[in-house]
Amino acid sequence: MKKHLNILYAVILITGLGIIGISSCKVSQKVMDKTGTQLWGENCGRCHNAPGPGEFSTVNWDIIGTHMRIRTNITETEEKKIIEYLKNTGN
Amino acid sequence: MKYKLITIVFLLCSGLLKAQTIDDSSIAVNPPHEPVIVGQNNFAVFGNAEMIYFSDKNNSHFGDVNFKPIFLWKISDKLFVEAEPEFETGGGSLNIGLEYANMVYIVNPYLTLHAGRFLPKFGAYRGRMGEGFINRFSTDPVGFGDGGIGAMNEVGIGAQGGFGAGNAKINYEFYISNGPQILSDPGNPEEFGQFDYEGYIGNNNSKAVGGRIGLLPFSNSSLEIAYSFQTKSKTGEKGTLYENVGVNMQAFDLNYWGHLMSIKSDIRVIAEWKHQKVDNAIYYDANRTAFTFNNSPTAYYVAATIRPSHLNDVFFRNIELAARYSEFKRPAPWGGDTNQFALSLDYWLKWNTVLKLTYQKQKDTDNAFYAQLVFGF
Repeated sequence: MKKHLNILYAVILITGLGIIGISSCKVSQKVMDKTGTQLWGENCGRCHNAPGPGEFSTVNWDIIGTHMRIRTNITETEEKKIIEYLKNTGN
Repeated sequence: MKYKLITIVFLLCSGLLKAQTIDDSSIAVNPPHEPVIVGQNNFAVFGNAEMIYFSDKNNSHFGDVNFKPIFLWKISDKLFVEAEPEFETGGGSLNIGLEYANMVYIVNPYLTLHAGRFLPKFGAYRGRMGEGFINRFSTDPVGFGDGGIGAMNEVGIGAQGGFGAGNAKINYEFYISNGPQILSDPGNPEEFGQFDYEGYIGNNNSKAVGGRIGLLPFSNSSLEIAYSFQTKSKTGEKGTLYENVGVNMQAFDLNYWGHLMSIKSDIRVIAEWKHQKVDNAIYYDANRTAFTFNNSPTAYYVAATIRPSHLNDVFFRNIELAARYSEFKRPAPWGGDTNQFALSLDYWLKWNTVLKLTYQKQKDTDNAFYAQLVFGF
């Protein structure tokens, strides 16, 4: 039991330090420059076929964006850029 | 112990404070494109309807008619609720269940907290890749469906998030849940040492702790590799012989998706390996006969798909071919080792609506044909 807890503490500690450390790091310029269209093409299709811009209403895209961020842990920037692309292109 | 807890609390607080600062500045620099309507509570319903036709040399029937609406409420930019009841008929009668009912608080760009009944974070198949409109097969790999390793859902609390680092991305999920509850009913010796993962309430004072850490090393997010774990020190009902039987689980999963423009196709390779180690225990059947066994099952699957998505011809670009091999090395009382090979020809009527034609060979089971129709809405 103690061994299991130590492993858990170690994992949480390393991850916690990692999160703080890495979130302080800069995302590369190449990634920062990606458009919503690019991110939509790269991320949505990783698990399922990517729905097109005209598939849902503006309000629904906002809801779907949050839902998919929770389901897949895409970053906040990715979520916002993808949803902006889908809302602005399809409506 | 105290120092460890203080360190963890400090880390979480540091993350919250740091991220709150970032959040505030982003509001100042980037005003929203649309006016915010104060008090607006957005709601939507999506989901799946499914049915399977099954046929082998002895039997054929329509069945597994399932209806799975997903209810989503975006209460505010930070508060979200997602819930999915399930109406299933695979057992021969209507079974109504709660797949998940998850309350979510988005703390900052890097941290999201949640509580309720949520999809499993152990591995990727059961929480993500096994969904009807994501799974390219009409069936589950052995060891990943009913009677397999790991939960279909969890009841508890968790923290998760994702962030970029250079060209890569990292995502994480940690949780505390009621966790698995060991089965020891003398009337069902074939289930000894397996677990009920669906408990709405716990059976003792122990909790499962677990998590998953994923890495997407390439800037185009084409590859995700992840490690998961779960541990629980007591899985038996309080006061019984099995109360102190513990379990440890580990898993690795991989998802690669890329484009082969030379043949105008998209390809996908997904795989998952998971292992479970259950403490030794002595079990008693209905005749009070005692026996024990090494309870450390392992399951894995590898699947590959190809779809000529970049062809101009609408009919052919909606066809997808898929092949999958899976193995489940399990203790003798559960039926011993088994393996399965499945081939599937799918036709996509829409991005989330598909007809799957699957032919499957499984050890000690008749070869079978499945046709599954999944409508996403």
